[in-house]
Amino acid sequence: MRASLFITCYNDTLFPETGRATTRLLERLGVELEFLQGQTCCGQMHANSGFRAEAFSQAKRLIRLYEDAENLVIPGSSCVAMMRDQYPGIFEELGNESQRRELAAFLPKVYELSEFLVDKLHVEDVGAYFPHRVTYHASCHGLRGLHLGERPFKLLSKVRGLEYVPVENMERCCGFGGTFSVKNPEISQAMLTVKLHDVLSTRAEFCTALDNSCLMHLGGAMHRQYAAMRTIHMAEILASTESSPMEALA
Amino acid sequence: MNTPVLSRQRILNRVRSATATVAKHGGQLAEAYAALPRPYIRKGQMSAEGRLELLIERLREYDAEVVESTMDALPVTIEAQLAASGKHRFVVPSGLDPEWLVGGFDWKIDYNLTTAEIELAEGVVTAASCAIADSGTIVLHHSPGEGRRVITLLPDWHLCILRASQVVETLPEYFDRFRAVPALITWVSGPSATADIEMTRIKGVHGPRFLHVILVRD
Amino acid sequence: MTTAILDPKLAPPFREAVLPVLRNPMLRKNVAHATEVIQNKRARLVAEKRDWQQLREAASAIRAHVLENLGAYLEQFEARCTAAGGVVHWASTADEARQIILDLLREEHATEAIKIKTMTSAEIELNPYLEAAGVRVHETDLAEIILQLGKEEPSHIVVPALHINRSQVREIFSRTMGLKDLSDDPKELTGAARHYLREKFLNIPTAISGANFLIAETGSVAVVESEGNGRMCLTLPQAMISVVGIEKVLPRFQDLEVMLQVLARSATGERMNPYTSLWTGVTPGDGPQRFHVVLLDNERSSILARPKERQTLKCIRCAACMNHCPVYRQTGGHAYGSCYPGPIGAILTPQLMRMHYAESLPFASSLCGACYEVCPVKIDIPAVLLDLRADVVNIERKQAKRAFDLMYIGLRVANTLFARAWIFHATQRIGRIGLRLFTGKDGWIKRLPSIGGRWTENRDLRGLPNQTFHEWWEARAKENQ
Repeated sequence: MRASLFITCYNDTLFPETGRATTRLLERLGVELEFLQGQTCCGQMHANSGFRAEAFSQAKRLIRLYEDAENLVIPGSSCVAMMRDQYPGIFEELGNESQRRELAAFLPKVYELSEFLVDKLHVEDVGAYFPHRVTYHASCHGLRGLHLGERPFKLLSKVRGLEYVPVENMERCCGFGGTFSVKNPEISQAMLTVKLHDVLSTRAEFCTALDNSCLMHLGGAMHRQYAAMRTIHMAEILASTESSPMEALA
Repeated sequence: MNTPVLSRQRILNRVRSATATVAKHGGQLAEAYAALPRPYIRKGQMSAEGRLELLIERLREYDAEVVESTMDALPVTIEAQLAASGKHRFVVPSGLDPEWLVGGFDWKIDYNLTTAEIELAEGVVTAASCAIADSGTIVLHHSPGEGRRVITLLPDWHLCILRASQVVETLPEYFDRFRAVPALITWVSGPSATADIEMTRIKGVHGPRFLHVILVRD
Repeated sequence: MTTAILDPKLAPPFREAVLPVLRNPMLRKNVAHATEVIQNKRARLVAEKRDWQQLREAASAIRAHVLENLGAYLEQFEARCTAAGGVVHWASTADEARQIILDLLREEHATEAIKIKTMTSAEIELNPYLEAAGVRVHETDLAEIILQLGKEEPSHIVVPALHINRSQVREIFSRTMGLKDLSDDPKELTGAARHYLREKFLNIPTAISGANFLIAETGSVAVVESEGNGRMCLTLPQAMISVVGIEKVLPRFQDLEVMLQVLARSATGERMNPYTSLWTGVTPGDGPQRFHVVLLDNERSSILARPKERQTLKCIRCAACMNHCPVYRQTGGHAYGSCYPGPIGAILTPQLMRMHYAESLPFASSLCGACYEVCPVKIDIPAVLLDLRADVVNIERKQAKRAFDLMYIGLRVANTLFARAWIFHATQRIGRIGLRLFTGKDGWIKRLPSIGGRWTENRDLRGLPNQTFHEWWEARAKENQ
């Protein structure tokens, strides 16, 4: 099985350990992984801010880059949602027929990480070991955009040693919303306060999700407040084994 | 300042040009309408008995009192309900079955009663056109046997006589039954209520606070 | 009490408008409680309704079909309503609607009118206009009386006084109704309102309403309510004036079998609301003998013209969107500066204002999508929000002030950075070095200057790692050679 990794601009810069974990995990599962150095950004930040022409130019570039890729794996649900939910409309408005055809050929290749594991590799037990109490935050894009459904739970349930505790109001937005947290910081913070209360009430050691943007938001507040919890991308949990525990603990 | 005629034309022109590029079904509105998807449940699955049981359950959830009767026993059942209410003066629609005007009570037949006269009544007795079991809804079409809308609105106490054959299970079944649309309809699902103060549900704001239903097996 | 401004032309931008609300624990508690109650009630009924998604599909299709054929259905409604004894008026603007209504009231020699709550009348700012012209308008919904007597603004479209608690209601009623011994028990308060209104229902011969649905097939009007004040207003008076948005039409009577099932469950979490009334024109001997419908455009035809935005008009005003919105939950309606708050308000208000006002509203969302998930007519609110954001930016592109807008500049620059991998990588390296200035010994950043400060106000930021992922990959590839 061959796949091409789209790391996402923010993971590349801020959370390379998520990329390293994704690499370890997929290679352990026998995937022949490639990484195209030409990748930058999917355009989500611009699209969500109303800068559609700019988002379009980034999208075109991305699609062209992955012309020959077989499977595109992305450890970031919001970027996948951007491609599936917004690219078609943007290409309809700003693109031509040929570009729309390229997009149509591109989209079926795109997999969010948990989708790739469960739907394409048909695995739920990835051989992971993570002996910690963990709660899961259902990022809005993954929940309502991608309809990830049971996939993350199936994967977590097979991790040996992991004690899963559900968070109340799991489906409620954490308040990050990308540029929303910059344009409306006060209300974003109010939403974060409410969400953090629910998350911390689980008394888990780790809060995980399939998107580092939410985790950056939650984790940044946890760190500021000296809370007894950390955030971790699910790729890093799934990559952990007895002999190779997750990086931050090693 | 637009005159009435100008405004009408202006709005219709704007609306028409706004939807000019929408593909129509060869201009046939009825065809486009008929092609609309209706994948929802239209017909209920319950037996007649189940339906009645469900209606009674729903009505009782609304704190309505429900008793059953037969056609023969109806006047007796009516008398019992009225006697138990402690009330004497009732307003009734002009087309109510005279056999239901049992003795011992002060009947005000609505031959165009004034509002003041209706206000003097302590309760109202009517028939109904239909009841929908799923939502516990009683439907009034304000026919002669159901009366003008005001008489089921001002009194505080309403006795409604419903025949079992008038009960359907689902809302779509009601619409199937009444293809000819009445000019006036009131769907009643429980007493009036408000939750406007701190989301505390208070029953009985305007309209009858007390509903009694006689379900007649016909 | 709050001093909310619900006029989009005067209201401050969303970010500013939320501040007093966020600092009001009582309002936030009431809003959270109210939305939670309705959420739970709705959820229970939706779980029980096996064909819920099918009903949504049908409701969405019916509404979309109406909008695509709106002209034909409006004309049909007009013809049937007129044949049944109603009079149909057309108002292009809010101004015209107000004028028409005032003229009709003058025809009736009315110095007072009783009114059923209608969002449309709030949209056209009818009450102040009529009061200024010497017509006293008496609201008759419990929440609307509380707001009118207390000189307050609504914060929700179905439960407008949810930001006001019982002791505040007691204070308002005892003061304005002259009731010294009134307790704050909601039952007693409701009883006081019932008594207060009875006299008005029986004696004021002119009523103003809105409508939930207009039925084209028959020329009928449907009003959905809980309290019974609607029935009072549309049965007892001599004359009735209904002001209704042109988008409220349904093709046929039978379409109510879908709309009524989704509306009550979405709005109040009931299988059916207590009273739904339908009337057709004028019925001799029963109800008002003079009936007028004022059909209101007020920019709806502009919204209709934009294919992606058209779905905004499918709305049946159930408020499910705001009941599930995590932003609204923290702010209630006052922060939206409009009679239409929440997610629907965020897309409707700017469009009614032709994007000249309320431009901050499309950004008042984290795009979580909870609204779309619960909308009974499947309005893709996030998609419309994104489209309106693009509209706002496209207007900004032509304005000189963009040169001073840090976010605008930042995003334009970022686009260049992403255009080539080498520029992106160089920026990462520069950023990594630059941010070291702000990074503490533990590898975390506690404070950033300028716009970065909006992050670090309440969150730490982990310092940029020494090696990006792509650098790690490159190094590993070299190693393996």
